[in-house]
Amino acid sequence: MGGLVQKVKLFGEYIPWFQAMRDKGAIAFDELGLPTPKTEAWKYTKLRDLNTDDLVIEPSNFLAEMRVAAEEACGCHHEDGGCGCHHHHGEGCCCGHHHEEGECHCHEEGHVCECQQKLHVPFEAYVIHFEKGKMIPPFPDFPRGVEVMNLMEAVLTEDAKEYLGKVVDIKLHPFAALNNAYMEEGIYLCVHKNVKVDKPIVLINHTKSGEENIFFNIRNLIVLEQGAEAEFVEWYNYTGAVKSRYFANVVNEIVLGKNAKLSHYKLQDEAFKANHIALSVVKQKSDSNYHNCCLQRGANIGRNEVKVLLNDENASAEVNAAYIMSGWATLDTTTDILHLSPRTYSSQLVKGVVGGEAKGVFQGKIHIAPDAVQTEGNQLHRALLLTDTAEIDVKPELEIFADDVKCSHGAASGELDENQLFYMQSRGIGREEAKQILIDAYLNEALDKVKNPEIRAWLSDYAHAPQE
Amino acid sequence: MNSQKPEIIDESGDKYKYGFVTDIAADSAPKGLNEDIIRFISQKKGEPDWLLEFRLKAYEFWKTMKEPTWAKLNYDKIDYQDLSYYSAPKQKVAPKSLDEVDPELLQTYEKLGIPLKEQEVLAGVVAVDAVFDSVSVATTYRQKLAEQGIIFCSISEAVKEHPDLVKQYLGSVVPYTDNFFACLNSAVFTDGSFVYIPKGVRCPMELSTYFRINAKNTGQFERTLIVADDESYVSYLEGCTAPQRDENQLHAAIVEIVVNKNAEVKYSTVQNWYPGDKDGKGGVYNFVTKRAACRGENSKVSWTQVETGSAVTWKYPSCVLQGDNSSGEFYSVAITNNHQQADTGTKMIHIGKNTSSKIISKGISAGFSNQTYRGLVRVAPKADNARNYSQCDSLLIGSHCGSHTVPYVENRNKTAKLEHEATTSKISDEQLFYCQQRGIGEEEAVSLIVNGFCKEVMQHLPMEFAIEAAKLINISLEGSFG
Repeated sequence: MGGLVQKVKLFGEYIPWFQAMRDKGAIAFDELGLPTPKTEAWKYTKLRDLNTDDLVIEPSNFLAEMRVAAEEACGCHHEDGGCGCHHHHGEGCCCGHHHEEGECHCHEEGHVCECQQKLHVPFEAYVIHFEKGKMIPPFPDFPRGVEVMNLMEAVLTEDAKEYLGKVVDIKLHPFAALNNAYMEEGIYLCVHKNVKVDKPIVLINHTKSGEENIFFNIRNLIVLEQGAEAEFVEWYNYTGAVKSRYFANVVNEIVLGKNAKLSHYKLQDEAFKANHIALSVVKQKSDSNYHNCCLQRGANIGRNEVKVLLNDENASAEVNAAYIMSGWATLDTTTDILHLSPRTYSSQLVKGVVGGEAKGVFQGKIHIAPDAVQTEGNQLHRALLLTDTAEIDVKPELEIFADDVKCSHGAASGELDENQLFYMQSRGIGREEAKQILIDAYLNEALDKVKNPEIRAWLSDYAHAPQE
Repeated sequence: MNSQKPEIIDESGDKYKYGFVTDIAADSAPKGLNEDIIRFISQKKGEPDWLLEFRLKAYEFWKTMKEPTWAKLNYDKIDYQDLSYYSAPKQKVAPKSLDEVDPELLQTYEKLGIPLKEQEVLAGVVAVDAVFDSVSVATTYRQKLAEQGIIFCSISEAVKEHPDLVKQYLGSVVPYTDNFFACLNSAVFTDGSFVYIPKGVRCPMELSTYFRINAKNTGQFERTLIVADDESYVSYLEGCTAPQRDENQLHAAIVEIVVNKNAEVKYSTVQNWYPGDKDGKGGVYNFVTKRAACRGENSKVSWTQVETGSAVTWKYPSCVLQGDNSSGEFYSVAITNNHQQADTGTKMIHIGKNTSSKIISKGISAGFSNQTYRGLVRVAPKADNARNYSQCDSLLIGSHCGSHTVPYVENRNKTAKLEHEATTSKISDEQLFYCQQRGIGEEEAVSLIVNGFCKEVMQHLPMEFAIEAAKLINISLEGSFG
């Protein structure tokens, strides 16, 4: 059995309000179907390469996770010298080989675990690990006022009930509907009133070679109460020599209370044959600020869609993105900023570098509702084409129903400036190196928007052209 | 003349076998659209078989098509079977000069401010091929043009007199399969203009057509074909005004332009059809397909439009830049007031090398109106060094109107340089205050600012048109401020 719609045993079927949401998702997806090139929101991102026929959803892992979490003190929770990625009883080491319990070589002294080489978070952070869409407990210790749970835990305790499924409109987003139908994995993050989280919270999803044809759904619910502040980082990572094919479908629901501030960063670095489709929907109350920056560099079809609802006065959002790619990839950055109240502000800067036979897509929309006066919305997209076969499709859209507004958008695309290359070459910098310098500088303009300098440095390390 | 005969005789001499009797006075076809109506139109116009075949093919295809819904337009569903597809004004003999034209007709023109007679007196500046409903009633200055080999006549005449040219170019830029409205037009088009500029000729005057929609409930399906041969130049004006009507009238026109090597065509439009009343009742539905093909090297085409009328506008004058070094330009001012809706823009398709295009679009929405700029810039993989600059500015007057910008940019060539900019704003209080402080009334100040906002486009209109258009802008915005 395969495909996007399949029967799979998931946890929580006996919770009526929750199961009803899953059922609604399944019905909505059935009605919407997969987007076609005629679907305006998916006009440029062709899904014919999605090849969903042989995809398999793995059965529920929740109870196992709970058990492991309970056995927190188990021997394989490594102290110093351990890789920190928490291998468990009976599970394979990240190096891909299966070992007897406790024999995992990567924890021998002097040995650096593969996943440590790749997945070292180079800044102080609370790290939550996922593997191919399944959470790997335990959670790090969070300070007071920060509540982090497995999504299903939050469903059981009904903490998630207030917002789960209420931020995203599944009638508009087929993949979110699909995500609803398989809702189980993901985290619930709640930052209590006036609490400022001292370190970034990082969610790493790690997929390894050999994990073929897996289809996984991650659903995160992030609630910042009034005056709360946090930084949330998503990192979708892949390691392995063989390029796996899998499909990650991610939905984030984010609720920002009055005066709350969330910085949300994302690095999408999936396998080149994998597909990654993500949607973040943000609901903002007055005076709140949402700051987003996403770097996409992997996946065959990669789509990062951010939808921000500026519901109350003086809410502001900044949505930036960068993408760099080659090969056959299609990377899609879609934004939809809805100014629904007066005096709301948004700005967007998206920069991309497209090489190989790849295709870059940007669809940005600023919507200003009637009476949402004295709002400001700005948007700029710029892209570089490196090869003759690269393609860039852009649709920046303004939808304005109020007169006292300031809105602008701009879009430009072109190739590297010959004069700049010549300038550097004449000063002894090789052509290829000069190109690299220009590309780095080009993307860094968007990444410079990242407020945390450590995260900025980490992201810009990844903003190099992938080796072909 | 056909209109003298109460019934249509088919080739076998029998009474028209489908049996409807035409009312001589109105001379309209009965309501509805079917194969018989198309045969009727074709027969009525004495068309050759190939054209009838073309129409029928289009109709067959149209039946398989669905009306597009992607535009940001809201209008009552059009019942295509409730329209009359042919209507000719009452007349006894085909007029040979203006004197023979029905004085009532001339009066209507005069009321609308485009005195045909005066234009004749105004000595050879403009030649008018005036179209009243569907039949061309007067063509002026044709002889003068004919001396240079320029053909300027109605398309039905062209079908008879220059069948080879029409056959060669008709549907070559806008094939009948293109879109729903173009397909409908291909099946039922009744009249329009045909222009042919031979090699190396610079058309000495500006060619002009005024369209009118007159008879109630008549869809007007115009078809214009302009062919500019090598090294030629022509400037063509199209002006539109329609008398007030209560029911919505459908207008689905096609304009095709073929531009050969080193030739240049300038196409200017002022569209001032009935926009409906203050409550959005009535008004013209305007669904137009306009496209120019720059086939030769160094060819150039320029669209300039001032859109102030129509309840619903759906119009995207496009340029297909096939020839190397060809260039396309699009200048547009669109003004919507009350409950008007406009979804308009352009398409620039870069195919040849070193092609360039420029888009300047100015939109002004007032009252409860909604306006969308929808543009496409596409650069094909072989279009090296393509260059595009787009600028779309919108001005909002009042808090109930909407202004939207939907540009599509598709680049498949790395040497292409594409830029798009758009801004939206309102008339600033400072600007208004500045004018008022110097003794300029509010309404006047608004018109001053609006005219300044549009200037970049207006300067591309031919002189006489620019004046008329400036007046139109003021009239359109009357009562929208304060």
